[in-house]
Amino acid sequence: MNLPLRRSGNGKTATLPTAAPVPRDGPIPVEDQIEQSRLAQRRADKWLIAGTILMGACAPGIFGLPMFLYGLTLLRRASKAGLSVRPVMVTLIGYLVILDAGLNLQGWILDMIGNHTLIYRVLYTAIGNVMDGGYFWHYNQLWIGGAGAPGEKSWEWACILVVFPMRIAASIAFLQMKRWGHQWLIVTCWFGVVIWVGYVMNMTEYADIRFGGIVFPVLGWWVFDIMYITPFLAIPYLHTVNREIFSD
Amino acid sequence: MNTATGDQNKSSTQDDSAAADLPLGTTKQWARMHKWLRRGIIVCLVGLVLEGSFTLPFLAIWYGYPTLSFHDICSELMKVRYNNESLECQHPYPFPGPPLGGAPEGAGVNTAKDQWGIQPVPQYPRLGFRELVRIHDQRIARQKAAEHNTRVPHP
Repeated sequence: MNLPLRRSGNGKTATLPTAAPVPRDGPIPVEDQIEQSRLAQRRADKWLIAGTILMGACAPGIFGLPMFLYGLTLLRRASKAGLSVRPVMVTLIGYLVILDAGLNLQGWILDMIGNHTLIYRVLYTAIGNVMDGGYFWHYNQLWIGGAGAPGEKSWEWACILVVFPMRIAASIAFLQMKRWGHQWLIVTCWFGVVIWVGYVMNMTEYADIRFGGIVFPVLGWWVFDIMYITPFLAIPYLHTVNREIFSD
Repeated sequence: MNTATGDQNKSSTQDDSAAADLPLGTTKQWARMHKWLRRGIIVCLVGLVLEGSFTLPFLAIWYGYPTLSFHDICSELMKVRYNNESLECQHPYPFPGPPLGGAPEGAGVNTAKDQWGIQPVPQYPRLGFRELVRIHDQRIARQKAAEHNTRVPHP
């Protein structure tokens, strides 16, 4: 991982060899500081990754959240101790993008290939009946199965094959503080804006199908789906963060 | 002159101190925006987790579980969707099923009520809290009554 070096707790990028923190009991060699930072980052990432995997699996997410928060705490402690670890914002954005893309991928892949399993026939048609008629109206009548709303399957193909895998790959590199990760996260988050605008307009064009005869029309969808607004939160950060903290 | 220089030095020291408190990668100019973005990200993260964890239990209870089994809920939703009481969720569905092979469950069903046109309008009723249980029980009662009537010879 390309972790930037920093002075003890002051948040500034530093250059070798003055980068070594100066603890109260005397200076430690910069190699030791780098090694300690690497270990601290690795330890935190184990918790963050485990938490994100559970959160991305939907039902066990409630157990994954404390693990994720513990990972964040470890990272914060390491940062306060003067170690060179990844900034909290980079960590949050990287993992949230993975979680957002993972949940979307899971949902849409299952709508594509798991649409005749009992659990997903109940879950998808029920969620469709609650807030998005696209997942209820003529469900499992297309030859491919799953949602039959006009245009829905096209979004699924585009996002499953292109956007979400790219975003996850970019996020992993972003979490490794690589420059291409930062650049590709910008590109794929703009993809996310395209998806949001296109998807919402598609729903609006076919509003009768999407919102007619369902339990919580329009507002229900927005309350549920607003949590996937990740690109709009990531883009302003990605364009204003000091890019020098990312390296080749 | 000295005072002005002193003020500048003081201000510069304050700036340095403020910058020192900023997270890595965040410049003073964007510090406030990054703070609000961080809060928004945490809200979304927690929101996604809560949705992921509680959507299925919420839906199951809303649509009649545990009074109705998942298979019952699946079938009841299908009857509402296609306006056809004779439909049942086929479980397990013949492997592999769509998209890998075989016809989808709704193939050939043409009983759904829609106002057809370039922008179709579905005509199914809006379902309330645990309304499927009532619909299910009423249908079973109706079917039993019909069965009973056919068994009892007319006086």
